[in-house]
Amino acid sequence: MTVQRLFLCSCALFVVIGCAPPRYAWNNYDYKLYQHYKNPAEYDQFVENLKEIIEDGEETGKVPPGIYAEYGFALYEKGNYQEAVKYFKLENDKWPESHVLMAKMIQNAQMRGKQGKQPNQALAPINPEPANTDMSEAKGTSK
Amino acid sequence: MKKVFPLILLLTSLLAGCVHIPPKDLNKFKAANPSSILIVPAVNESVEVTAPDYYLSTVSVPLAELGYYVFPVNLVKRILEDEGLSDASLVHSAPAGKICNLFGSDSVLYVTIKEWNAKYLILTTTVNVKLNYAIKDCKTGDILWEHEQMMTYTPQNNSTGNPIADLLVMAINAAVTKAAPNYVPLARQANELTFYTEGVGIPPGPYSLAREK
Repeated sequence: MTVQRLFLCSCALFVVIGCAPPRYAWNNYDYKLYQHYKNPAEYDQFVENLKEIIEDGEETGKVPPGIYAEYGFALYEKGNYQEAVKYFKLENDKWPESHVLMAKMIQNAQMRGKQGKQPNQALAPINPEPANTDMSEAKGTSK
Repeated sequence: MKKVFPLILLLTSLLAGCVHIPPKDLNKFKAANPSSILIVPAVNESVEVTAPDYYLSTVSVPLAELGYYVFPVNLVKRILEDEGLSDASLVHSAPAGKICNLFGSDSVLYVTIKEWNAKYLILTTTVNVKLNYAIKDCKTGDILWEHEQMMTYTPQNNSTGNPIADLLVMAINAAVTKAAPNYVPLARQANELTFYTEGVGIPPGPYSLAREK
């Protein structure tokens, strides 16, 4: 009975998504993000998990979209602005769609990096429309 | 033969089920031809406060696998919070273009969690997830595609032929589901059915293997 059910499930899955292998090396990203939302106190574990996804993905050249940026932002929140910029740039170089956001994030991280360890100091808005585009509020406080 | 028959029946109904759904009109979507999708936090109409965050973790993978650039969902969520938009309904009701400009996206996916609950009967439990999806064009704000998907899960009770043993199994099933209703796998299934089913989902994006060839 169990075997039958398994077979049925896999049949249904094939019907729905076909047999194509995954496009990217996700390495359980969805589960890891879920764990992060479930246990926000274990932030370091989440950061470590993101790093793992990148390391594994780079071996096969299949780092999923958004992961460099997600990891860069984790470093940013921990106050490691220099490393954050490095990963924002990797996202920027790999995915042209990320240019606008990554330009803002890089600029922000660089400004914060120059200001040293003053994470709570307000920054000048990067863009002229503060209501929409002021990213300076993304404070360096970790969750 | 006795064992094979229900299997065939199920498979045919599965295939036949697909045929009856009128395919969605994807002309608007294809004309807009977005290469990136911004996933904003879901509006929660259920009573489970954890639903939007848990849901958010399920939706990047299927869309990226379809070949779209998907913005990092956690980063997007944090930026929106810092912009004073931590209330998802504010994000959903704001003009699409305004939100898109923050991130430089082509399109934006709005999900509303209609149901995220477990219904407890005395001995069995059903877990329900109902999601409403809409993708809007960032330039025009038009809805390019929308869909509503319902998923229901009832723990399977294998009949042992012994009524007392059956009751015991059912009681255990209900207890397990009560302690931790398993919404996330159900939400994943809803996403997969929604995005991947032909005639329901969206066409492959620019990074899909099919379009790169």
